[in-house]
Amino acid sequence: MGTDRPPGRARRARPRRRAAAACAAAALLPLAACDALTPGSAAEAPGPRSVPSRTAVPDEDITLRLQFADAPLMVDALIAAFEEEHPRITIEPQYKTFSDYVKNLKLTMTSDSAPDIAQFAVGMTDLAEDGHVLDLAPYREAYGWDASIPPVSLDQLTAGRASESTGGRALFGVPAGLSMTGIYYNKELAARAGIEQPPRTLAEFEDQLAAAEEAGLTPLGVGALDSGGLHLWAALLNHTMSTDDYWDWVNGTEGATIETPQAMAASERVIEWGRLGYYNDSANGTGQVDSTAQFTRGDSVFLINGNWAAGQLATAMGDNVGFFPMPGGHPADPVVASGFSVSYAVSSRTEHPEAAGAFLDFLTTPEAGRIISDNGFLPTNAEAAEPPRGVLADVAEGHRLAVADDGITTFPDFAAPAMLDALRSGVQKLIAGRVEPADYLDALQDVWDEQHAE
Amino acid sequence: MSSTPSRPAADRRTASRPARRRGRWRGYLYVLPALAVYLAFAVLPALHTAYLSLFEWDGVTLGRWVGLDNYREVFGDAVLRRSVLNALTLVVFFSFLPILLGLVTAGLLARYRRPGMAAYRFLFMLPQVVPLVAVGVTWRWLYGDDGLVNQALRTVGLDGVTRAWLGDFDAALIAVGLVGTWVLSGLCMMLFLSGVQKVDPSLYEAARLDGAGPVREFVSVTLPHLRGELAVAMTVTMVAALASFDIVYVTTNGGPGEQTTVPGLLVYRLAFSDGKVGLASALAVVLACLILVLVFVVNRLSRSEE
Amino acid sequence: MNSATRTERWSGYALLTVMAAAVIMPFLSVFLASVQPAGTPVVGLAWPEQWSWDNYRQAWTVAGFSDLIRASFVIAAGVVPATLVLAASAGYALGTMKLPGGNAVAAFFVAGLTIPVELIVVPLYYDLRGVGLTNSYLGVILAEIALFMPFSVFWMRTHFRSTPPSLVEAARVDGASSATILLRILLPLARPSLMTLGLLVFMWSWNQFLLVLVLIQDTTMHTAPAGLGFFVGQNSTDIPTLAAGTIIVMLPILTLFAVFQRSFIAGLLQGATKG
Repeated sequence: MGTDRPPGRARRARPRRRAAAACAAAALLPLAACDALTPGSAAEAPGPRSVPSRTAVPDEDITLRLQFADAPLMVDALIAAFEEEHPRITIEPQYKTFSDYVKNLKLTMTSDSAPDIAQFAVGMTDLAEDGHVLDLAPYREAYGWDASIPPVSLDQLTAGRASESTGGRALFGVPAGLSMTGIYYNKELAARAGIEQPPRTLAEFEDQLAAAEEAGLTPLGVGALDSGGLHLWAALLNHTMSTDDYWDWVNGTEGATIETPQAMAASERVIEWGRLGYYNDSANGTGQVDSTAQFTRGDSVFLINGNWAAGQLATAMGDNVGFFPMPGGHPADPVVASGFSVSYAVSSRTEHPEAAGAFLDFLTTPEAGRIISDNGFLPTNAEAAEPPRGVLADVAEGHRLAVADDGITTFPDFAAPAMLDALRSGVQKLIAGRVEPADYLDALQDVWDEQHAE
Repeated sequence: MSSTPSRPAADRRTASRPARRRGRWRGYLYVLPALAVYLAFAVLPALHTAYLSLFEWDGVTLGRWVGLDNYREVFGDAVLRRSVLNALTLVVFFSFLPILLGLVTAGLLARYRRPGMAAYRFLFMLPQVVPLVAVGVTWRWLYGDDGLVNQALRTVGLDGVTRAWLGDFDAALIAVGLVGTWVLSGLCMMLFLSGVQKVDPSLYEAARLDGAGPVREFVSVTLPHLRGELAVAMTVTMVAALASFDIVYVTTNGGPGEQTTVPGLLVYRLAFSDGKVGLASALAVVLACLILVLVFVVNRLSRSEE
Repeated sequence: MNSATRTERWSGYALLTVMAAAVIMPFLSVFLASVQPAGTPVVGLAWPEQWSWDNYRQAWTVAGFSDLIRASFVIAAGVVPATLVLAASAGYALGTMKLPGGNAVAAFFVAGLTIPVELIVVPLYYDLRGVGLTNSYLGVILAEIALFMPFSVFWMRTHFRSTPPSLVEAARVDGASSATILLRILLPLARPSLMTLGLLVFMWSWNQFLLVLVLIQDTTMHTAPAGLGFFVGQNSTDIPTLAAGTIIVMLPILTLFAVFQRSFIAGLLQGATKG
């Protein structure tokens, strides 16, 4: 470093080079030596880490901001119903698409303008670790959520941490509705291709895809521009990989790997279907929202998507649409489907944790359950809601079966914050037949290793 | 100490030179505000990036000094390397194609008075002034299943080649590149046309009398006079290609696969969603150095030929 | 004129015209889409059977483009005057005074022309957040001023260097202070240059995306391009409203361009050439 000249003394060179030299010198000399400049050393502790244990909402006008990525219609309805009960609390919804939401989640939640309430997504675990979202465990006791929510759904939201306030498990979100992916089908188009009922096995499903192809229809709509592709891959993976191994991998259990023959088989099937022309031609250029809209217009016989699209599909297509979980190898196989919950976390920067708590608690009421179920989600408090009809009933039935078989797995992108991009681009390559399954899985495992090293 | 009366005079004499020097420095008062803002919000952050690139840091917890490891990863990691290659490919579309189009037009129209040029100039500059995000949103739709591009292809009977261009592995990068061509061609054409205006018409007369064809005339008269404009066009368009972010962000988000992933997109993604601030910084530094080197080379070449 | 040169000339014009059509088509396509009745599936270039301006109202009020446009104006209103003042004063000193090391300082500014936003955006976010300037228009304004400063100083310095030195000299002999010379004599003459610079800076500020995306997380404070970037993800299926939003975002800058095209084009072409 001693050879660097201070800026003013630089040899008479061309001005530009001189400026560049000045930059380099000023860059490295003072900074490298100074320990206090190590990035992160000045990070402020972001407020309380836990909600208070009281639940009384102060009697004042309060505005809460809620940022979310799924089911805008449902959120609007929930907010309207909640505001009716709590006239002094206003909730401003801020909707972002899932990919925008996840892309910006960390920036959003660590900024001073973090929303009071935010949908739980990948990355929340890291945020919980660093104290940017509140531990809700005290509310779990105070409100008695264990009575209204299946404890297993709450235990998905602990970020693997113990609560500093209650000593029990921490809680970083409250589920509004439970979610699940599967296959929608257009009944009219299916009939035209000679398909009479939902398939009971994967082989039967492949026959139906072939029949649709034969009939000159697009068999399967996939919105692989964002996350539609990974849902397809995960749905196939669910039936090849054991759920225990899969959970170990997503949870980052030491030694877990995705580089298995089972995952190879699922990846090969994605390639195979692409080669057979089962996907919409522009799958890789179509977002999930767009693939859903195209499906309502009758562009494909089947569509891979989650229950969050059910409300929209029911409205647009009425009785012409049905739903089934991706079938397994044998009719008697357990029903396995990827799913999570649409849950909401509370920012540690909120000034109104009590009001936020009141909203979260509202989500567990029968009234909320009705709204949730009307929008194609599974209310946590199942007996509270009226039985749904049409495609919504198909979804509810599929979910019931999957839960009964202990077959709800989580989404693969929860394995690491960078996994979503790896999956998105990886499955795009599978769909286009541009990658060997082994290389694809290797790339996923690299991301996993990096996240869970140590 | 000398006698009192003489002091003022001596003072004046000895102080006058420093005073004048101070006067010359006083001019810096005018420069200082601009310099301060520039230093604080552009230069220091740039240096800070270089510093951060030596750490492994997630943006929250304490960083760890890793020396040049991040740079090793920039050159070693397939995705990151790919992004740099994609950016270099974009140079073809952002830089070479527009310059080629500009040179051809300038060559064809070099020797004439050109009525109606104001209208063309207005049109060609339009893509230059609108936000690149709006350009991206527009082209995202034009390239879609039902977009203008496919409609045009169907009209001329090329139904077979229609596709969602941005989702196609072979076509996506070219499609994104052509958006850059669309944006920058007008600028290059206008730049060169205004450049040839300064050429003395008698040079063309002389060339014609010597029996030069249009091509030789272009090479021996037009091109040498456009050297300055050429350097400018290359600099501007290359920076636009290498530092591209807006268009890619709204059209493909880097897909399909990593076909259109560019460094700008990765800097954003690595730093703000993947929690790899050090790696993002290293990539940003590499990108900036690449730009600096190219700009330097272009300017060197254009000067040394003179 | 012989036939060969005539062919040349006509092929030149033909090329220009083809290019002009290629430039205008996308704009036309978006415009026509924006006046289709809301919710209709629009294909490429289609003449609307029924002109509907309702999409603009929809985009303006429901989709919140009015807020986005206002935020963009607020930022530009901070960036443009500040940049002009700082650049004019620095350009004056660097262009007309013999400052010790003045050339090096000028070169130091010019070197900044190659700084891509990507190089500064990461620490800017963390540094500005540390002092509470993220999610604030002020933070974006300061960053943009700094980002545009190299070109602006360079532009004004070039201008002042081209003013006859005798003018400054005469005023100095008359005893005018350096400030008086700048304010009374040089600035009035610099109006066209300032005008062009102001337009260019406004345009860059209006079009800036990455900085805003990172520095402003609160979507209600987003600028027009940032808002459009988010909007396209949510409404990619409702082409007419999306198209109307796109037009709204482009309209202010297009209007300015149409009114001041001479200054604009001069700036875009000369600004580049002088660099």
